[in-house]
Amino acid sequence: MTTPGKPHQHPSADDPRIMLDDQIGQFEAVPPYPPRTEREAEFYSLRDGEMFLNMGPQHPSTHGVLRVVLKINGEQVVDLDPVLGYLHRGVEKLCENSDYHHIISQVDPLEYVSSLFMEWAPVMAFEKLLDVEVPRRAEYIRVLTGELLRVSSHVLFQGWMALDLGGLAPILYSFIERDEIVEMLAAITGQRMLFNYFRIGGVNGDLNHEFMSRLGDWMSRAAKQHEANIGLLNENEIFVRRMRGIGRLDAAMALRMGASGPNIRASGVPFDVRRAHPYSVYPELEFDIPTRGGNGGGDSLDRYLLRLDEVSQSIRIIDQCLHNMPDGPIMARLPRLLRPRPGRAWAAVEAPRGLYGTYAISDGTDQPFRMKIHDPSFVHLQLVGLLMKNNLIADTMAVMASLDPVMGGIDK
Amino acid sequence: MTTLNRAWGHLTLTGKVVIPLLFLALVVGPIVTIFLATVVGPWLADVLGANPEIVRFVVAITGVLLFSIPAAFIIIYMELKVIAFMNLRIGPDRVGPKGALHSVVAGLKVLTKEDFTPTGADRLVFTWAPVIVFLTAVMVFLVIPFGPGLVGQDLNIGLLYLFAVGGMTVVGLLLAGWSSFNKYSLLGGLRSAAQVISYEIPLTLSVVGLILLAGTMSVYKIAEAQQGWFTDWYVFRQPLGALIFFIAATAEANRTPFDLTEADSEIVAGFATEYSGMRFGFLFFAEYVNVFIISALMTTLFFGAWNAPIDINSILARVGLSPVSVSLDPGSLGIGLLILLLVAPVLLTLIFAAPFYLSRSSRPAWQALVLGFLVFNLVGVMLLGLLAYIGWPWMAGLTWFMLKSFLFVYVFVWMRGTFPRVRIDQLMGFAWKWLLPAALLNLFVTAAAIIIVKS
Amino acid sequence: MDRALRTRLEARFADSLTGPVRQRHDETEIRIRPADVVEVLRALHDDAGLEFAVLADLCGVDTGTHMQVVYHLWSAETPDWLRVVADGMPREDPRCPSLTGLWPGAEWMEREAYDMFGIVFEGNRDLRRIYMPPDYTSFPLRKDFYLADDAARSPGGGVRHMEQTHAPVQATQGAVRRTAKA
Repeated sequence: MTTPGKPHQHPSADDPRIMLDDQIGQFEAVPPYPPRTEREAEFYSLRDGEMFLNMGPQHPSTHGVLRVVLKINGEQVVDLDPVLGYLHRGVEKLCENSDYHHIISQVDPLEYVSSLFMEWAPVMAFEKLLDVEVPRRAEYIRVLTGELLRVSSHVLFQGWMALDLGGLAPILYSFIERDEIVEMLAAITGQRMLFNYFRIGGVNGDLNHEFMSRLGDWMSRAAKQHEANIGLLNENEIFVRRMRGIGRLDAAMALRMGASGPNIRASGVPFDVRRAHPYSVYPELEFDIPTRGGNGGGDSLDRYLLRLDEVSQSIRIIDQCLHNMPDGPIMARLPRLLRPRPGRAWAAVEAPRGLYGTYAISDGTDQPFRMKIHDPSFVHLQLVGLLMKNNLIADTMAVMASLDPVMGGIDK
Repeated sequence: MTTLNRAWGHLTLTGKVVIPLLFLALVVGPIVTIFLATVVGPWLADVLGANPEIVRFVVAITGVLLFSIPAAFIIIYMELKVIAFMNLRIGPDRVGPKGALHSVVAGLKVLTKEDFTPTGADRLVFTWAPVIVFLTAVMVFLVIPFGPGLVGQDLNIGLLYLFAVGGMTVVGLLLAGWSSFNKYSLLGGLRSAAQVISYEIPLTLSVVGLILLAGTMSVYKIAEAQQGWFTDWYVFRQPLGALIFFIAATAEANRTPFDLTEADSEIVAGFATEYSGMRFGFLFFAEYVNVFIISALMTTLFFGAWNAPIDINSILARVGLSPVSVSLDPGSLGIGLLILLLVAPVLLTLIFAAPFYLSRSSRPAWQALVLGFLVFNLVGVMLLGLLAYIGWPWMAGLTWFMLKSFLFVYVFVWMRGTFPRVRIDQLMGFAWKWLLPAALLNLFVTAAAIIIVKS
Repeated sequence: MDRALRTRLEARFADSLTGPVRQRHDETEIRIRPADVVEVLRALHDDAGLEFAVLADLCGVDTGTHMQVVYHLWSAETPDWLRVVADGMPREDPRCPSLTGLWPGAEWMEREAYDMFGIVFEGNRDLRRIYMPPDYTSFPLRKDFYLADDAARSPGGGVRHMEQTHAPVQATQGAVRRTAKA
């Protein structure tokens, strides 16, 4: 705030904001205090020939505001340390001060790419606390919209992956696909991105004519479009070479690291919450759990291809939902002011990125006492350091993109 | 007199200086002009006339330098538009018709941006590195023949000069990366040094076969040697050489898929991270001038330079007709020329306006006349172009050269919109393990073939 | 609600459980002391018939009177989720053994619990703050966290004029919101 008319005051030499000539060269990624933990000490000590490279919060490829400190020896990455918190919004604290209904819009921006899933697990947890039974039509609508969003998320992943590797065209094709699906969902939810659609006890709006017609159009083209998407990059030699063998994650390590979703299925472990702990109407639906990378674990190419496999399964599920859609109400009857019994509930769904769970503690009032959000991308980001041993800087992008992180969920 | 005094009193200090100077210029100006025209002029003309080579050289260089900027503008616009269409987008469409003036405005933009040197950067090197990059890119234009007789200087070591000067770009890139006091720039500069040096060797080796075939290192003579039909072009005699040259040239110019020096999803902008303003403009334009140069080289060395694919005169000679030529003598018309120049535009406008006027009854007459005038202009330009093409061989040569060069530019832009990037170790492996042996193989086979054919 | 699981747990961990095994809907909950965490979870992971291979969540809870660490596990052997509550840590100095020896992926989840509550996980090699800046002095999700007080102690305080809008407020204002049986 400068007063108009006043000449610009040059900061004085003891203003900590300016850097004097003898301080040049002290800009390092090393924090300005002694290391507090073993790992910090190990990471922030340099051997001969190593240097720090800071892929800072503003970077074209870190999937959001993520800071990754790389310790490089020439072009080879010796170690890396992700620094989080640039997008931390205190969602859990906000949820403690919100009504149960309000939490649904609080929780949407977590994984903004697939926000219906972010609403699904809290809603399921609250339904357990309230002992509410969701009508079957609502469950089918939830599955239908969820699987549509999963397709959209995986197709967008394809574009992101190519973008991080240097190909500028596929992301635009992904957005064409995503745009169609998102317009469809906008017809019933009223929103293109942060849907705020699921409610405790059901969903907000019924399927309408516009949605059905758009969905019909899309379904008639879906299989062919999926073939085209597969063929877009799979046979590109450069693309495949950049991903094959990079970031190999074996099954035992994946389980120990808490990986879930496509990342663990690409390492050969068939763990999918929809089959491991079925919820909603998934027991009635027929679909397979594709896995890849049986022996030796899965590399980035396996993770990429697996998500494409999952898209065909999702299209199958959508088809079945359409055929078996029951009639009935879309919301259970609930009082407007919700006061669940004191207690605890945990619910988990299979989000496009992995196992997304909510642990809700209620104390009998109209606001939850504690709401813990377990986000899959948070756990997967730990894997980057593990998978990046002695790869090159360019592979950091390949590995990180193949794990498909979304910073909103990581930073909560 | 009092009015003048009062007027003088009203003037500010600046006015009191400028107005008298203006009057002085009005009086002195004609005298100086007459002096220059009568005394200095003939002397200058004599001096220049005695050294036509220097004049020609200076004119050629000026022309080439002036051409490089519009060429870069065109290529930038092409890149943005073509990649946009490949991405199912529209690209620039605001400035100028269909966004055609976008690059001009981009050029103005880099001129007006804040031009600062980051703290800790080596100021001298930081300032001069983009200049080195740009200069070495533009210096290559000296030996590229744009048409028969349209070459800056016909050096008989033209190819050697080309690769020597073009290879100095890496010095500029390294200096830019090093002096920026930024780790991203450092990485970018080092990557670019490794890349350019690795691909320099297959690049040079791939044209040695060509040198053997043509018997000369002069680029102009290589272009001349490809006269005739398109089967005379060197690409059919050195297909492997052409392919290696194409790939190595893409890497030399830091184009996708070898653009990791400016990989903007990994190291932000590589060596150019800390540059802004006109310094960045230099680097930016140098890249696109480089694209034009490698396209021009591809055309010149392998695809016939300025030669048309079919030789019309040889077809006509076989049929028995004389070659196409045009001999115009407008002076012989005498006063008829004046009448022609006055009457023809009006008449032709009316003739071309008639269909527009008659086809739609609601069209006002003035609109039809305007459209007719436009069509007349178009037809006139086309006719004149045709006359120039037939009459002046350099015009035909220039047209074909530009067509072919921009076709290759289109191919490079197409590759940028399609391919992802290779990794540095894959890139170096490819150069040393595949391109270098292939280039050597090409060389040996060519040399062996020449010996066998000669004996 | 898996009765067989309940009997198995009661049999195996008879002396470690500090309360009855509770079951509701599709969740089974056991309570243990923080000191027994590693032993119990290792048994849950390794024992035949239990084999809880997937650690689905690790979170801290501030019940107002004491701190808890809650683990959620999944096993292919039972259709229930298992919740393990390590209860009874004092609010002034909550300490709990770290799970990073068993599940290396728990490292960041423990860092988050430390950052939000101040629970110190002994054995975690990298127990530093994950969301908040490294020199932050409060623990945000605790029930006695008060925002205005915290802002005045922020690292930029004193240099940027926007942070001087109000003086530091007493910490006792609006402190412990409520306690609950949790």
